Amino acid sequence: MNNYSVIGKDIPRVDGREKATGAAIYTDDIKLPGMLHGKLLRSPVPHARIRSIDVSKARRLPGVKCVITGEDTPKIKYGNWRLFPATQDEYPLAVDKVRFIGDEIAAVAAVDPDTAAEALELIVVDYEELPPVFDVLASVRKNASIIHETSPSNISVDRKIAYGDIKKGFAESDYVREDIFTVHPVSPAYLEPCSSLAQCDQDGRITLWTSTQTPYIVQCLLASTMGMRENDIRVIKPNVGGGFGGKMELRPWEFCAAFMAKLTGKPVKFTLTREEELTTGRRRHPMRLKSKVGFKKDGTLMAKDLHIYLDGGAYNAMGPTATFLCGNFGAMLYRYPNYRFIGQHVYTNKPPASAMRGFGAPQSLFAAESQMNMAAEELGIDPIDLRIKNAMVTGDTIPDVATISSCGFIESLEAVREMSNWKRNRKKNKKGYGIGIGCYSFISGGVFNWFNTQYPFSAAEVKVFSDGTAHLLTMASDIGQGANTVLKQILAEELGLKMEDIRLTAADTAMTPQADLGTWGSRVTLMAGNAIKDAARQIKDVLFGAVSSHFDLNVIFDLECKAGRIQATGKPERGMAFGEAVAMVQKTNRGIPVTAKGYYTPRGKGLVTPAFSFGAQVAEVDVDQETGVVQVKKMYTAHDCGTVINPMAVEGQLEGSIHMGLGYALSEELVMKDGKTLSNTFLDYKLPTAMDMPPGESVSIETYEPEGPMGAKEAGEGLASPTAPAIAEAVYNATGYRCKDLPITPEKILKK
Amino acid sequence: MKRSGFDYYAPESISEAVVLLSDLGENTFVMAGGTDLLIRKRHGMIFPDAVVALKKIKGLDRISVGPKKGLVIGATALLADVAAHKGIQNKYPAISDAAKNTANVQIRNMGTVVGNLCNASPSADNAPALLALGATLSIAGPQGDRTLALEDFFLGPGLTALKPAEIVIAATVPPPPANSGAAYVHLSARGKVDCSAVCIGAHIELQGRKVNNARLFVGACAPIPMRTPRAEKTVMRKVFTEKLAEKAGAAASEEALPITDVRATQDYRNSMVAVMTKRALLLAHKRARS
Amino acid sequence: MKHDIQLMVNGDSYSLAIDPSRTLNQVLREDLNLTGTKLGCGSGDCGACTVIVDGRSVSSCLTLAVEVDGKEILTVEGLAPSGEKLHPIQEAFIEKGAIQCGFCTPGMELSAYHLLSQNPTPSEQEIREGLSGNLCRCTGYNKIVEAISVSADRMNRKPSKRKSR
Repeated sequence: MNNYSVIGKDIPRVDGREKATGAAIYTDDIKLPGMLHGKLLRSPVPHARIRSIDVSKARRLPGVKCVITGEDTPKIKYGNWRLFPATQDEYPLAVDKVRFIGDEIAAVAAVDPDTAAEALELIVVDYEELPPVFDVLASVRKNASIIHETSPSNISVDRKIAYGDIKKGFAESDYVREDIFTVHPVSPAYLEPCSSLAQCDQDGRITLWTSTQTPYIVQCLLASTMGMRENDIRVIKPNVGGGFGGKMELRPWEFCAAFMAKLTGKPVKFTLTREEELTTGRRRHPMRLKSKVGFKKDGTLMAKDLHIYLDGGAYNAMGPTATFLCGNFGAMLYRYPNYRFIGQHVYTNKPPASAMRGFGAPQSLFAAESQMNMAAEELGIDPIDLRIKNAMVTGDTIPDVATISSCGFIESLEAVREMSNWKRNRKKNKKGYGIGIGCYSFISGGVFNWFNTQYPFSAAEVKVFSDGTAHLLTMASDIGQGANTVLKQILAEELGLKMEDIRLTAADTAMTPQADLGTWGSRVTLMAGNAIKDAARQIKDVLFGAVSSHFDLNVIFDLECKAGRIQATGKPERGMAFGEAVAMVQKTNRGIPVTAKGYYTPRGKGLVTPAFSFGAQVAEVDVDQETGVVQVKKMYTAHDCGTVINPMAVEGQLEGSIHMGLGYALSEELVMKDGKTLSNTFLDYKLPTAMDMPPGESVSIETYEPEGPMGAKEAGEGLASPTAPAIAEAVYNATGYRCKDLPITPEKILKK
Repeated sequence: MKRSGFDYYAPESISEAVVLLSDLGENTFVMAGGTDLLIRKRHGMIFPDAVVALKKIKGLDRISVGPKKGLVIGATALLADVAAHKGIQNKYPAISDAAKNTANVQIRNMGTVVGNLCNASPSADNAPALLALGATLSIAGPQGDRTLALEDFFLGPGLTALKPAEIVIAATVPPPPANSGAAYVHLSARGKVDCSAVCIGAHIELQGRKVNNARLFVGACAPIPMRTPRAEKTVMRKVFTEKLAEKAGAAASEEALPITDVRATQDYRNSMVAVMTKRALLLAHKRARS
Repeated sequence: MKHDIQLMVNGDSYSLAIDPSRTLNQVLREDLNLTGTKLGCGSGDCGACTVIVDGRSVSSCLTLAVEVDGKEILTVEGLAPSGEKLHPIQEAFIEKGAIQCGFCTPGMELSAYHLLSQNPTPSEQEIREGLSGNLCRCTGYNKIVEAISVSADRMNRKPSKRKSR
């Protein structure tokens, strides 16, 4: 059925050339006349009341143009969960209290970065230190130091998912096990440090260029924290050097750049250092997961009881979403007839955790998949057989939460079994060799309107021209994942045009149609893709009508856009060039341009997502028996991401996910001591290098997702999850060391 | 506090450099490759008033391997050049291995072996190999030139036996005795490119099948790269076997004084000193036999 | 005190008076507006700032501009000077999907350039070693390794077309 001309092809990135030549502009590359440079003063203590701040010396330093503290600002709290204002717990600059080492206290704008940095040292803050809490268990204890007065228990969010009867489920189980898993904080570690540049025009309106995944969210929250109107804020996203979840909120430096630009009348730029990024930046939630599962002797899953403490750090950030999603993913992949999840998001005096590739799934699935492997061993069933026995299939539901509208999970399991020569290699008796499996499912965008937007979730505007070209306008944000390429592909396919016939304007809140909630939760292909299809359909309706009339076609004829023409399907002679058709329509409308706006908002899709991806992954490792050093030899992946729109881009996402999963499993850790992040450089925050990256084999399991554009759904984010449990199982297979507290270190392996 | 700005001098001779260092204030730093100096400045560990750069001094980047003088590595000889030097690879593979394992490509194209020593980082990759091979340092200073055994050079983290205004001009390694072999091995626990959690320099001389002389040094496991004499004693005048190397490793492990840091714990380092010392001895032995 | 220096960047000569504490990265990005060279960490760990100085790859964030006075510098902007025909390394990076967010790309390409100038026929392992000083968070490196391997093949096939600088 697949006779696409652009979809399913290895189309090189549309921004490849500008990135390969260094011409691509990122925020920090932009320089404006008279621009000032900003720096942030951050708290050196984890928990304290601010008695006073003296900025007088800093203000007097030559070259300093502006110094602000929380007292100078409107003191309006913000947070992404606008639907529940009580969750909005952050000020752009601290008011009265600091809650983690790195909490922003004051900002300086000066003629150059060195002067701004020098001014920071002249600011005197008088702290009344408060007892800090660094650990979730300590934080939820009675009489623990209270971090936010609004949450006396230090638990800021509670989420519950429950269905069936777990008591009965466990009672009817032949085999029950309970384990506690802990996972550590890791950094998104995008290569481009955050940067923001704001300009204020003479009417007081703000333009903000910023390295963000969510221009619309930044626009709205910047307006509310500044006490301004949304339409007076324009957010432009230049090229972004990766985000992975870490750039999807309003950030203090965005506020400070805008606020100080307004105060000084000069453009103000903030660019963070890598040290700031690693020691104070957003990170993946550390969690403590208590999981109890019950099985029948034959491996049939009977019940699961999951309790998760999320270590949220000092503020909620995207924690509420992670709290729900880790419970949702605890129920995914397999048919749990009886399930209960309780998730608690706990404040601690540490840098806030937030979204990071997988959004609750890597943690939850590390526990679930590891436990599945443990159970398989004790039940005497092969881990893949046990999974297939319980695997979800199309049509399955999580009651009141989600319906699985397409699912290639069993096919994925069978494919990795084959590819990895699983049966033979599991029995292989080579010293230090091990093989293990981990699986995942992930969302294709969220359906829960936590941002409380009044707009459609995604929008697209399409303009077509008599020269046979089109202009696509969308607020969707390419942060490196390749959205611009994929969205152009979808429009090119719909209109029968070539990639180069399409001009794209993206991610400028004043120019592109309202709205798009941004790049997170793997939502862009499905949601922005559907909005584009909606707009394209309207364009086609108009063009088809005109062509039909021109050729006097019978109304039962189908028409198509193909190879730059609008024609009766399969009859090129009864049609005309795309541009000609546009011109004809314009003529009949006395010159009015041919344009359309399309929208997408998921409706009636439960609480989580319109569509789930699935997949399985096998890892082979060699463990040095003397040093405990693990070398991952090869990764095998099979994944169901619906229709693959761009195989090369999907493969790139897959390999990037393995890289991140490898780091999560083995080498990356934000090492903390007394609330301080010790891993402050890439020398000590160890990303895997090219030398560590294993080769891989992968296969896409083609399913058709009815809700997705051309049948597509999530690709690449969910794959951040299976790698760690697959490696952990392979290490167990090799050494007998069972990891229940990530990361897997040589020392833990030797101590087993 | 002075954040930015320092004076910069690029003398063209050693004597000029020494005069500059004597004349300028205490807060003056000698710079070879600059890779370590600029990081320390970035992290607020130093705030130099002046920097005296050595790269303009002609001939200071020489590398020579001779039958009598042995190996001479000039103060500004790059890590990349030492790593790639055929003569070193042939005669002093432990030294090229250490240089090759230092940091990454770009840093090796900028940084120097002698600079790596002068920073006196406990985990300096090049120190254990050079120590095991009995390197000496040629030092120029206001009181004239002197030679110092590398073993007497390190005093503590970031501290050396250099007196004010003194500069290390070169590291010299004597010609390897007959039937000797040396090795550098290191352990990067968190990936292939990593600061060594443990690194070992080993040198042994054989007389027949017996070990006639042994020098063993451990890096990253004490405030300075340290010698492990009891481990050396374990192998002395004994027939070399893998068992023996293992025993020496166990002895070295008892001698080492590692700490826990972001990269590895004390316990793990201790047990890795044993493993790595054994591996270094095995490799040195293999080289001594061939 | 400012120092007068002369830089030869991508074949163009620049006379500058600079403070000696300024890094080559700062001078390229701020004074010469050559923003293709990125700054990812500032401490020589990530390689995003890699440039070629007198034929060798270095971290421009750890190089004082005053130290490269009189030297020849190649940045990503100089890889395809004509602006039309790309360097084979750039072509292969685009074609093989070696680029995602693009922030590591200029540094990756210059590390590849340095590697291929030293070793025109590297093995896969040698390519990986050659990239040991360049971090990428998006691609997992494998497509970058493939792109370099492909560009090496192409450059070897027509050695006369492009002289190394």
